[in-house]
Order: sequence, then structure tokens, then C-alpha cells
Amino acid sequence: MAMSSESNTQSKAFAARDITNIALIVALIEVCKSGLLFLPNIELTSFWIIMFMLFYGRKTYLVIPAFILVEGAMYGFGLWWIMYLYTWPLLGLLAWIFRRIDSWLFWCVLSCVFGLSFGFLCSFPYFFMGLSSGGIKHAFSVQIAWWVAGIPWDIAHGIGNFVLMLILYKPVSKVMRKLYKKDTVTTEVKE
Amino acid sequence: MKNKKKLLLVLIPIVLILVLAIVFFALKPKATKGSKSIEIDVVDDQGETVTYEFSTDAEFLRQAMDEADGLTYFGDETDYGLLVYEVNGVNADYSVDQSYWAFYVNDEYCNYGVDEQPVADGDVFRIEYTK
Repeated sequence: MAMSSESNTQSKAFAARDITNIALIVALIEVCKSGLLFLPNIELTSFWIIMFMLFYGRKTYLVIPAFILVEGAMYGFGLWWIMYLYTWPLLGLLAWIFRRIDSWLFWCVLSCVFGLSFGFLCSFPYFFMGLSSGGIKHAFSVQIAWWVAGIPWDIAHGIGNFVLMLILYKPVSKVMRKLYKKDTVTTEVKE
Repeated sequence: MKNKKKLLLVLIPIVLILVLAIVFFALKPKATKGSKSIEIDVVDDQGETVTYEFSTDAEFLRQAMDEADGLTYFGDETDYGLLVYEVNGVNADYSVDQSYWAFYVNDEYCNYGVDEQPVADGDVFRIEYTK
């Protein structure tokens, strides 16, 4: 079975319904995040961003900043918050670029690779911190040292993302296909 | 052909995990055995500093902190290691006022928890109340 999600029929206007949708999606992400806090580096945020980007479309790009703002308001606007400003939008962008690929395995791998790269992506602010207290060599050493220290957690993050996508992609995509078919996405199913 | 593509897809994360593991074990700072002279500075919530200078055989910071005469600390054992919330009787609670104890080694943030932060001869650690 092959599926392609087209967003060309999506309503471009931003309706009150979208505000409600976005609020609910952010709430869903936050609840999942809080529920999984006891498992280090296991999260459903990547999964939901990918799924909503696939089925809810471009408007998910309003979900991501809303989620980042809520995170900052809840946990404080620290250095990690700067990292969130580009890591989650990057995942959204990747999901958008590859949105036509209906391969469960592809999304497992993309989610996994994102988890494995998360520490490296987050290490860039440390480069600039190092740069402010020394030269480029020092900046690189600060960035690399920070990244290396977190590698075991990145591996856990990547494996967790793979397993969660493996388990949830098919049932959740089935529900989302029905949910967003009418008002947001034209879904073409070929047997 | 389709199976070949699937196999290639699965290989990507496996190769990445292997590369990450190699990088981690190659670049992870190693603990050094033997006697080391170190300094631990504790900067409290009033900005006052207490300095502990001593020789230790400790390989990691937690052992060294245990050996520092007069230095007390409490923390929660978490999946990430010991999360220190009290040093020398001063409590820092991030959930109340976003305060925490920051750990530095030679003026750089410690990248590891106290259980894994290696100790080298001449290291100057700073444990600073931060808000």
C-alpha cells in the first residue's frame, strides 16, 4: 500500500479551529513529555512533530514555536532553550521535506537519526561560549567535550525514537489519516 | 531491490551508533590514578568562597568531595547520576527559584556529573550557587 499526503488542498487561511488544534497538539506533546520524564532521553516530541507535519501539514510550524515557548515558560529560558529554537524546527523542516515518503521504516530511521544527532546539534551554543573565552581551537574543544559527554544519552535517545516510531507509526497514522482527511489533507491511497 | 533499500536504511542508524560509541570511548577524558593536588572552591548564595586545597587519590570528583575536610553536600541519585542540591548547608532548588549548584573545572563547565567527572593533578573545581 502506498500513500501520498498532499497539502495543496489545505486551507491557507488561519482559522479559529487552527488555534484550537494547535493548543491541543501542544497540550498533547507536553503531557507525553511530562509522562515520560522518568525515562531519561525517551520522548514523544519527535514522534508527534513528525506525525503532525505529515498529517496536519504546514500549520504544524505554528505548533513548534508554541511548544518551545511553553517549555521556556515551564522550565525557564536557559541555554537549552536556545538549542530548542533550532533543533525542533529542523526536525519539522526535515519531516516537511520528506513528507511524501510513506515508509514506516524511513520515519523510524529519520526519528532515530535525529535522536542520535540531538547532542551534536545542541552543542553549537557551547562553541560560541568557548569562542567568547578563547580562540576557535578552544571553542571547538569546548563544543566537542560537551557533545562527547552526552553521547551515551544520544544513543538512548536515538534507540528510543526508533522504537517509539516502530510501535506507534502505523496505529497513529491510521487515526490521523481519518482525523485530518476532511479538512486538512487530501490522502490518496493506492492498493 | 526493495529489500536492499530497506537494509541500507536500517544500516544508517546502526553505523551511526557504532561511530558515536567509538568517538565516545576515544575522546572521553580518562581518570588518572595516583596522588593529585587539587582545589575545590565553594561559592555560596552570598558570594562567599570557601577553599579546600588537598592531595587526593580520587579519580572522580565525588570521591574528592568526600575527602575534602569540612565540605558537606547532599543530592538525589538520578538516572543521570547524583544531582547535588545542597552544599555546605545551602540549599538550591530549581523548581522554587531556579537556583542550582553549578560545577566548573578550571573555569569551564563540568561536562560530567560528580560521579564521572575525572580529577587530574592541578585541577581547580568550583561549586557555585547559581540563580
